[in-house]
Parts: sequence; structure tokens; C-alpha cells
Amino acid sequence: MKTPRFSRRSLMRGMLGGGTVAMGLPLLDLFLNGHGQALANGAPMPTRFATYFWGLGLTPSRWEPKTVGPNFDAPPQLAFLKDGGLDRKTTVFTGFTVGLDGKPSHPHWTGMAAIMTGQCPAQLNKFDGLPSFDNAIADNIGRGTRFRTLEASSFRSAVTAYSSRGQDSFKMCDDSPLALYTRLYGPGFQDPNAADWKPDPRVMVKKSVLSAVGDQRTALLRDVGVADRARLDQYFTSVRELEQKLDAELRKPEPCESCVVPKAPEERPRKGDVPTVVYNNQVMSQLLAMALACNQTRVVNYLFTTATSEIYRPGDAPVYHSHTHEEPVDAKLGYQPISSELADVSVGGFGTFIKALEAIKEGDGTLLDHALVMGFSDTGWAKIHSIDNIPMMLVGGANGRHKGGQHVKVAAEPVTRVSLTVQQLAGAPVGSFGTGSMATSKPITEIMA
Amino acid sequence: MLLVAAVAGLGLVATATSAPSASGPSAALPQVVGLRRLTASQYRQSVADIFGRDIKITGRFEPEVRRDGLIAIGSGEAAISTSGMEQYFGMAASIAEQATDAGHRAALAGCKPADPAAADDACATILVQRYGRLLFRRPLSAQQAAQRVALAHRVAEADHDFYSGVREAFTSLLTSPDFLFRIERAASRGPDGTAELDGYSRASRLSYLLWNTTPDETLLQAAETGALMTDAGLRAQLDRMTASPRLADGMGAFFDDMLQLELFSKQTKDPQFYPKYSQLLAAQAREQTVRTLVDQLVTKNGDYRDIFTSRDTFMTRTLAMVYQVPYVARTEWAPYTFEADSGRSGVLTQISFLSLFSHPGRSSPVKRGVALNEIFLCQPTPSPPANVDFSIVNGTSMTQLKTSRAKLEAHATDESCASCHTSVDPPGLALERFDSLGAHRDLENGVPIDVHAEIDGKSFEGAGGLGLLLHDNPRVSSCLVRDLYASATGRSIAAADKPLVNSLTKTFSGGGYRIAALLRTMALNPALYEVRPSPAQATAAPPVKVARLASSKESNR
Repeated sequence: MKTPRFSRRSLMRGMLGGGTVAMGLPLLDLFLNGHGQALANGAPMPTRFATYFWGLGLTPSRWEPKTVGPNFDAPPQLAFLKDGGLDRKTTVFTGFTVGLDGKPSHPHWTGMAAIMTGQCPAQLNKFDGLPSFDNAIADNIGRGTRFRTLEASSFRSAVTAYSSRGQDSFKMCDDSPLALYTRLYGPGFQDPNAADWKPDPRVMVKKSVLSAVGDQRTALLRDVGVADRARLDQYFTSVRELEQKLDAELRKPEPCESCVVPKAPEERPRKGDVPTVVYNNQVMSQLLAMALACNQTRVVNYLFTTATSEIYRPGDAPVYHSHTHEEPVDAKLGYQPISSELADVSVGGFGTFIKALEAIKEGDGTLLDHALVMGFSDTGWAKIHSIDNIPMMLVGGANGRHKGGQHVKVAAEPVTRVSLTVQQLAGAPVGSFGTGSMATSKPITEIMA
Repeated sequence: MLLVAAVAGLGLVATATSAPSASGPSAALPQVVGLRRLTASQYRQSVADIFGRDIKITGRFEPEVRRDGLIAIGSGEAAISTSGMEQYFGMAASIAEQATDAGHRAALAGCKPADPAAADDACATILVQRYGRLLFRRPLSAQQAAQRVALAHRVAEADHDFYSGVREAFTSLLTSPDFLFRIERAASRGPDGTAELDGYSRASRLSYLLWNTTPDETLLQAAETGALMTDAGLRAQLDRMTASPRLADGMGAFFDDMLQLELFSKQTKDPQFYPKYSQLLAAQAREQTVRTLVDQLVTKNGDYRDIFTSRDTFMTRTLAMVYQVPYVARTEWAPYTFEADSGRSGVLTQISFLSLFSHPGRSSPVKRGVALNEIFLCQPTPSPPANVDFSIVNGTSMTQLKTSRAKLEAHATDESCASCHTSVDPPGLALERFDSLGAHRDLENGVPIDVHAEIDGKSFEGAGGLGLLLHDNPRVSSCLVRDLYASATGRSIAAADKPLVNSLTKTFSGGGYRIAALLRTMALNPALYEVRPSPAQATAAPPVKVARLASSKESNR
């Protein structure tokens, strides 16, 4: 595309003359002030939130701490938490369960859906039209950033994340390091530390293009029935979020000490073997941590793999999911050795992810101190599709709100208590969560500072 | 009209948003009764037909949603997420950029600006209305047109370039819900609330079903004049469209959907086992199946049942390596007939089916059996029960069992598993002499593979036996009729559809299982263009066709 010959003056005229209300005000602010709506100097660091999901749970007997409360021990699969004292920033939850309330338990789907939406869906691959709770957080802390939420996966066939705004429309994942890099740091990226910032006139044109689309909302919604209205509403919400992304691109970013624009990563062949996925996870963890540090987004939904994880050891015919069902429990060890090895890899990826956040210095602490990361899975024991005791962990200080270093053990209480607690710690004004036997208004107060 | 556009262009926004009279005909537009997101291939084909085949489309499409076995049904439930919107917007900008660049603008039919360096509302109006009508598959409302002309005006003025303005107007049209969704509108309603689609919606149903693309000028005119709403007018369009070579595009897209071939985009194979696997092989395997079916069923107007037994196909050099057959043609593709003793006959023995429903490193009789039942018999398999007692399987050292059959037999001793595995395993086991890539093999881990199986008391052997069994199974043809009907309407088959579907099935079998004849009978029936009130309620409990065994159910994610 050739560079448009817009002058600031012609744009002002265009906007003042022909702009719609939707595009007029924020841009007007921008121009009248000559700079963006800066965060006030000295304001606290923003809270960041991430979900990190891996499929197929963990190995019973190899991940649950034996001691309850503070200073918990770290069994083999949580050993990475002892590195650099990460365990002091972590809460491990055990004993939580999913209340089916007469609904079927869809293997590898129901557990995750219950945690994310507070309800067991009637159908597989659906959330019963409910939004996932990360949106409540994003709507509160994610405004004004380029990406209200950002989705990615280190596993190449994870097409969508387990995040939905509703209508069972799931958000697309960037599923390769290069795709994620391009989305984040390619066109539209504003380096907060660039010396010569100026707004890109092409972004302003894009905004008026979208305004013309958004203006159709009233006319179109007048003619539709309930089900189609919800889908159209979602469409127009997406248009609005895209407009907000463009707003963010037009605003002069606050200088940001911890933001270092990464280099474009190497793209590897599309494979699902362990070395490839571990490499993707390593690179993507760093890209995402930097996206949070550079204020491109405040909320990340990350999948190490989908729920029915199909990673494999090179040269080993069965994929991880097949192993969990077919591999016998080793009598001497007391667990399935190959499945356990692949669970180590999956939760080890979580370690990589939180260490990437911990490695970024921010203010008087680290990015992880200002973030909250929920690591979780879909099953307790994958071999039998158990939805009891699904591994769930919270890591990060949440700007001083999360009191980590604890093992919270309960007897069969709903997973929604964790989801509710997470929302409150991450700053969403939510008082209750879940439906039926999973409805709760009781957060886990012992981990709230 | 032009005045309205010019005024809006000057920014009296209130005119457009607060005075309903300015919205003109849109107030009179009939009620929306359906919203179907364009599939990726429909999007591509529509853009190619409207702006030219050389327009490049780069970007990622929102993942297709499959419901009750078909993307055609899922697209009636699919929404557009923020990340999807970002992609659609980027694609729209790139398409509009190309369509208005120096190489293409001369081809833009309708008008040339008086001064290419200035805004020209009259010319912009003509272009917006002309291309808007093609993209929206119906004329733009006055408001829709005025908004785009105003946008074009502003940009052209600022940029001193008429075509910059047109570019942004086109981007806006391409991003609009009226393009990204096929918006179906009712012309009238019967006493029971059943809506009859208007002519434009009827044109879209026909066009996407038969040609997989946006209605052409002739079809739009038939909608505009009302001819399409008459029996004679509908018949004339059907004659024209079914006689066109483009019927191959429509049916090709239908088979691609029915056979779930979009799964190729997510396929991975372990190179340690399958060094021959490549993206090229995957793309050609997908095309091979579509070519074969289109050739047999559309070009040659053959018997549908023969797709399970025919040895005729098309070959490339890359495919020939996996099929282990010689390739002597000089062209990229050549017709090919497998030898009678090759073990290959019918669509089930093609790489597409065999490799898609396998694991990355080994075949899966279960995945193949589940897929076969779902795709060709419309018999979905329920999800496996939760909290299965695996202790029986546990007691057996699975690693000592050499073949998939041995492992599955260990499995089937559990009653709750057996209820499904008895219908799923036999067809899968019959295909076990094909590995995860679809190549022939006789041994698995050094043990000869037994491909005997039994379904409903009938014993058969191998892929050949399975093909014959399917050929003679009446469910196979009724399933195809259901899928075609659901593809046209974009809705799951409801109880109220069954009499018509049954009657179409009879016509299909009575006529020798010819698809073109079935399409004509189906598309001449006014019921195909009706929408009953709240289909979600009419279908009652949603069928569980999306459910597959856990091993393959993640197809959408």
C-alpha cells in the first residue's frame, strides 16, 4: 500500500466534518492534547491476568502436596515451583470438584468448561452460550490496550482457545511463534520507547471504515429474532473491540522501562512432538510475557495443548491422550510412567511460562508480582476421565492481592470457588459465580491479602 | 440520493442516525430469519467471482463450526469473534487494495471518475451500489450506500485520489455483516409462522448450494424481477445452473464438507514413521477425493453408491508414492484406475479418509469406524462414558498386544464400552491393512493383520467387503439426501422435514441414485425455501452428532 497523503489538518477536517460520534471523541482528545491519555505518573502497575491450560491433568500421587497451608512441600510434578522461590508466590488447590447436576460429563470438556463458565454444558464443544470468566476480568482491567484478550497455543492444531464471549464462538489462537510475534509486534505495534512517535494516518482511515460498519447496527438488529440478534450483537461487539484496538494504536504509548521488543522467532516445521511443542512454549512464553510488559494486552489465554493432548515422543506411535487410556499402571511405581513423563512436560511448560513473567523486572518487583496466572487442566486422572481434583494453581502477586505460598485443600467443594476467587483477585467486580450446585458467592479468603 | 450522500459526507451524522426516513428502504426490509456465516471457501469463491480470480486472499479464517456433521449447519450458528474480525478486516483491506489498484481499476465496471484526483460522489455511488449489490447479494439500502459514498468522499478528498476513497468504501462493504453472513430474509409468513424466503435469499441458497459462490447477475435479476419466486422462473434458473460446469464447484464443496476434509488443515504426522508426509501430499489427497467424487457423480452422473466400490480416481506423482503405484503421466494430475487386486476400491481406501481418521503415528480403527458411521450413515457415536472402569484393560499389559484388533478386543469385554465399540470397531478393523498415512501394509508389529469383520450378522473381509456392504446399505443414500437437504437449508433435519426427506430418498433411489436429478427435485420444492419458526425449538433436543469418541472429538479445536 502506498503511503496516504494525509495531513493532520485534512484528517482533522475529515473527522470533525464527517466523522461519527463513535470515532470523534477519542480522536479529538488525542489531537487536542497532543498526546494520549497517559496513566498518571506514579500510578500503580496494572494488574495482568493469564490462564495457562494443559490437557490430561497430572499424575495422581505425583503432584498433590502432602502438607496443607503455608510452606507446602512440592512433589515431583511441582518441583519447578521451588526454583527461585516461586512456591512462595503460588497457591495449589486440591479437593475441588465439578457438580454435574444431572448433566452428562463430556470427557475432556466438562471439567474445563465448569471452571471457565461455572456450568457443565449440555453439549460437547459448547459453553451453553455462556462467556468464560476471563472476559469479566478483561472488561475490567483490559480496556485501553490493543488486545482485550490475547490467545495463543504452543500446539499447532489448537485452533481456538477455551475462551468465549458467548454464543459458543471461541477465540482464535495464534498457534505458532511467528504468527504470535507478527500479531503482537508486526503492523500496528507502537514501540512505547520509540523516540519519534506519531500516529499512523492509515489507522485513522481504518477507524472510519469500521464506523461505517458499526453504524449499521441499529438498522440490522431491528429486523432479527432473538438467536440471530445475539450473534449479530457479538459481531458488533467484535467491531467495537477492533475500533478500541485502533484507538490504542493511535494513542502515544507511555514509555515502559521493562518493554524490550523481541526479535522475530524462528519458525519450525509443523509437528506435535514434544521437542517442537516445548520449543514453541519457550518462545511463546517470552513473547506473551513481553506483550504483558509492553501493555499490548492485560489478559492472556494460553493453551499448552488442547484437552485431548496429542503431543508425542518422537518415534513413539501413541499420542499422549492414547497413552493415558492404554498405558497400564506400573505396579512398582504406582503410576503410568509414559503418561507421567508427558504430564511432567505439560506442567513443566507452565513453569516456563511463569518464569518468563518472573524474569521481567517491573517497578520494585517483577511482572509476576503484578500478575495472576491460573494454571489448570481438564481432568483429575485422565485415565478414567475423572473430573474430581482437577489440578489448579494460582501464581503471582496480583499487585499484592494474592497471598501465595499455600496449599488449599478442601473436601469436594465446587471448582467455581476457585474461579470466583481468581476473578476477584484479578480485579473483576464479581460477587458470585456458577449455577446449580456450583453456584457460589464464597471466595477463598485465606489467599486474599 | 446523491444529495443525501453528499450531505452525509459533510458530516451531518445526525441525518443518518436519528432520522429513520433517511434509512429509506431498509425500514421496509423483510425480517431476518437466518444468518449463515460464509465458509472460507464461499468467501474465496465469492471474492474471486466479484473482483477477479487473481485477487489474493491472505489471512486466517475464523475456524469453521461443524454441527450435526456439517459445516453448512454449523455456519448457521457461527458468530464472529474479535480475533476473527481482526482477520476479516485485514483481508477486506487487502482485497479492496488490490481491486482498486492501478492494474485492476480499469476493470471496475460502472463508471470512471471525472477527475481521478478528486472525490466524485456520482461515480462512487455507482461503484458502491454495483459492487455492494454483488457482495451483499441484494441491493444496498439508501443508508448503506450513503455511508459508503460519504466515506469514499472523505478519503478521496483527504488523499486527493478517487480510488483511495473507493478502496475504503469497498473495505467497509467487505467487512459488513451483510457480506460476511448470508442474511436470509422472509418475504411472507404463513398462518403457522412459517416464513417464505424472499427472492434474494432464495437466490443465495441456490447459488451457494449449486455453485458454492455468490449469485451471479442473471440470478440476482431473477430475484429482482420476482421471476425466481415463480415455478417457471425457478425451473429456468435450475436448468441453467445444473447444466453449468460450475455445478462441480458446488458439489465439490459439499463433499469437502461432508467428508470433513477441512481437517487436513490441522493434520500432523510423525515424520519418524511417515517421512513421505508433506503439506503437498495432504493438499493433493484432499483434492483427489473431491476430484474423484465430482467426476463420478457430477461429470459422469454416476450412481452414488458406486463411490464405495469404484477403482477409478485421479493420481499425482506424490500420491502415487504412497499408493505404491507407477506414475507415468506428464501432467500434474491424471486419471487412474487401481488394479483389481490392489486392495483399493472406493472412497474409504483413499488417503484422505484413511489418514484423517488416524493418529499421527498409527492407524486408529476406532477413529475410522466413528467417522464412517457419522459421515456415510449419519450415525453419530455418543461420547464415551465418564469415569469408565478401565481396570480390565488395566490388567492386560496393552504393550504386549501387537495389533489394534487385539487391543480393541481387550477393551470390548467391558459392557459400557462394548455398546458402541461393536458398531464402531468392525468397519475400522476391516481397514487395518492401511496405515496412518493410507499406505498398504500386511503386518502390524510383525503380526499379520486380520481384516475379517462382522456387522449386523453379515461377515465380510477387508476394505473391498466393507465397500460392498456400504454400497448395498440403504442408510447410505438416505444419509446423503439428509446431508444435501441440510446443506441447502443450513439447518439440522427436524421431525417436520422427515416426510420430505423420505420422499426425496425414494426419488433418489428410484432414479438410480443420480445427484443432479436429486438436486433438481429438491430445489424445485418450495419447502426448500421455507423457514419454520424458531428452528431451535422445533428440533427439540439437539442431536448428539458432534459427539465422537474422545480420541477424535477435538475436531473443532
